[in-house]
Amino acid sequence: MTPARRRTFEFLLDNLVWLMLITVLVIFSLTIPHYFQFGIFANILEQSTYVGVMAIGLAIVIIAGHLDLSVESTAALAAMVTGLLFASSGIGLGLSLGPPIVMIPVSMAIAVAVGVVIGFINGFFVIKVGMSAFIVTLASFIWVRGLVVAISGGRSAQSLDSAIRIIGVERIFGIPLLAWISMLCFVVFSFIMAKTPFGRYVTLVGGNETATYRAGIAAPKILWSSFILAGALAGLAGWLLAIRTSGATANLGTGMLFNAFAAVVIGGVSLKGGIGKLPGVYAGVLLIYSIHTAINLMRLPAHWTQVILGLLVLAAVLLDTLKLRLREKLL
Amino acid sequence: MTEPLLSLSAITRNYGAVQALRGIDMDVRAGEVVALLGDNGAGKSTLVKIISGGLKPTSGSIRFDGQERHFTDPSEAKAAGIETVYQDLSLCLNVDVVANFFMGREITRKVCGIPILQEKEMERVTGKAISDAGTRIPSLRTNVEHLSGGQRQAIELNRFVHFGGKLVLLDEPFAALGVEQTARGLKMIRDVAARGVGVIVITHIMAQAFQVADRIVVIRHGRVAGDIETAKTTPDHAVELITGGTLSLAGRDTAKLDHIPVQQEED
Repeated sequence: MTPARRRTFEFLLDNLVWLMLITVLVIFSLTIPHYFQFGIFANILEQSTYVGVMAIGLAIVIIAGHLDLSVESTAALAAMVTGLLFASSGIGLGLSLGPPIVMIPVSMAIAVAVGVVIGFINGFFVIKVGMSAFIVTLASFIWVRGLVVAISGGRSAQSLDSAIRIIGVERIFGIPLLAWISMLCFVVFSFIMAKTPFGRYVTLVGGNETATYRAGIAAPKILWSSFILAGALAGLAGWLLAIRTSGATANLGTGMLFNAFAAVVIGGVSLKGGIGKLPGVYAGVLLIYSIHTAINLMRLPAHWTQVILGLLVLAAVLLDTLKLRLREKLL
Repeated sequence: MTEPLLSLSAITRNYGAVQALRGIDMDVRAGEVVALLGDNGAGKSTLVKIISGGLKPTSGSIRFDGQERHFTDPSEAKAAGIETVYQDLSLCLNVDVVANFFMGREITRKVCGIPILQEKEMERVTGKAISDAGTRIPSLRTNVEHLSGGQRQAIELNRFVHFGGKLVLLDEPFAALGVEQTARGLKMIRDVAARGVGVIVITHIMAQAFQVADRIVVIRHGRVAGDIETAKTTPDHAVELITGGTLSLAGRDTAKLDHIPVQQEED
């Protein structure tokens, strides 16, 4: 094979999920009435925001060779804390700060800090104590959700301060600000993963931790940072979710973990670690919500989404194996 | 002569009740190739890990480059100028040749305080280093998992030749290599030594040791059983030192060995 053809081939293999997304969108647009319109696409982008932001952190931890099952509960806790402090009815305390605009960065910082704390705790048990990430983050998934229910007493906080709500209402070029925020997150973290030493080290540690240790890379620090990042991004996702729903309920975000996992796998991130790119993950999230929207428009019962999602995950993993074989054969 | 580059004195290492090293004394000078020989379990790998910072000695002292050193991890040893090529290769199969070549020493440029990887520059340097060494790798952007065992080992060897440092440790470096590649590898070692780098090669293969080393150090049961200039010994004698060869010591003139205590294994 000529180098040019090989490059094209590799490029296609690496970006298969984008091809899938485009194919699916074209098929839906042609076959489903009212699918092909700006509003629908803007809506897909907006719906993808929360799982998308969460999936970035999850993908980074998985690329580093571990797992984080706690992102969903972490997001819920961050949302609940935001609701508790800044919503005015229900269990909300209705905190208000000097100039209303200050509340946006302050509430965001608090939500992200909540995520950082959970990520730090996860990282501590995995890296310092040497426990399996699966168990540690499964435990966090349970106790953090428990904490959400406990601090809210099972009730909800409503009517988030309007100064903060701006984030959930504004549009730029007709696209919701929320969608822009998630796109910005993907751009920033894709850049970090692809172009900076930190991203490189995450990938290397996920590939062969011993080799990185011998090469003088501080693998534990990299791993711990990836857990903290996953927590911080989950916190950010929770903050966005609280803004969108103008408060928080005790069961907010339930089931998001599976969507995030599906997006990560469909996006081409290998659970073995060391393999995967963030733009692919974004395509995975968009793919999930494109299908979601199609099912809604066709007025199928929403439960079918779950069936299709499951099959899609299976297909993605199958495709991954297939890709590897193709590569071995052709390169 | 000036102070040796590396000087180990009375290095011991215990694993629980097991004494892997029982007091190793050895020197390596700059530009010298030392072959470290010993049977399986003699303590060679433990010694390599101690020198490369992966393991702390239980007692004893390490002087390197004129200073007393207490490495706590490989990055410190590396920063001091000690490069190690391990028996099981230290490559990340999930990334390409360039990323492996520069692992842990990426070339970056700060843009607004953020370090950015300089891929083009790294690819250029890697390409030059690898072609200078006569290794053929189809594409530097191929992931290492698609490369053969020999090509993988070549990346590691080229890495140490390029970055060099002051002392290089090679633990069974030619395990996966063919005849021609091994010959090239041995030449690489001499070239590196000629630049004034000290080299320690661990090997099982006597012929390689005699081909490349200036001096042979034999480890047996955690002690130095022999420390001889290659020119003044024979493979047969080395084998006897490795296996404990009490037979040979009975009949052989041991005068040339009188500066090293030949240990008996009664303890």
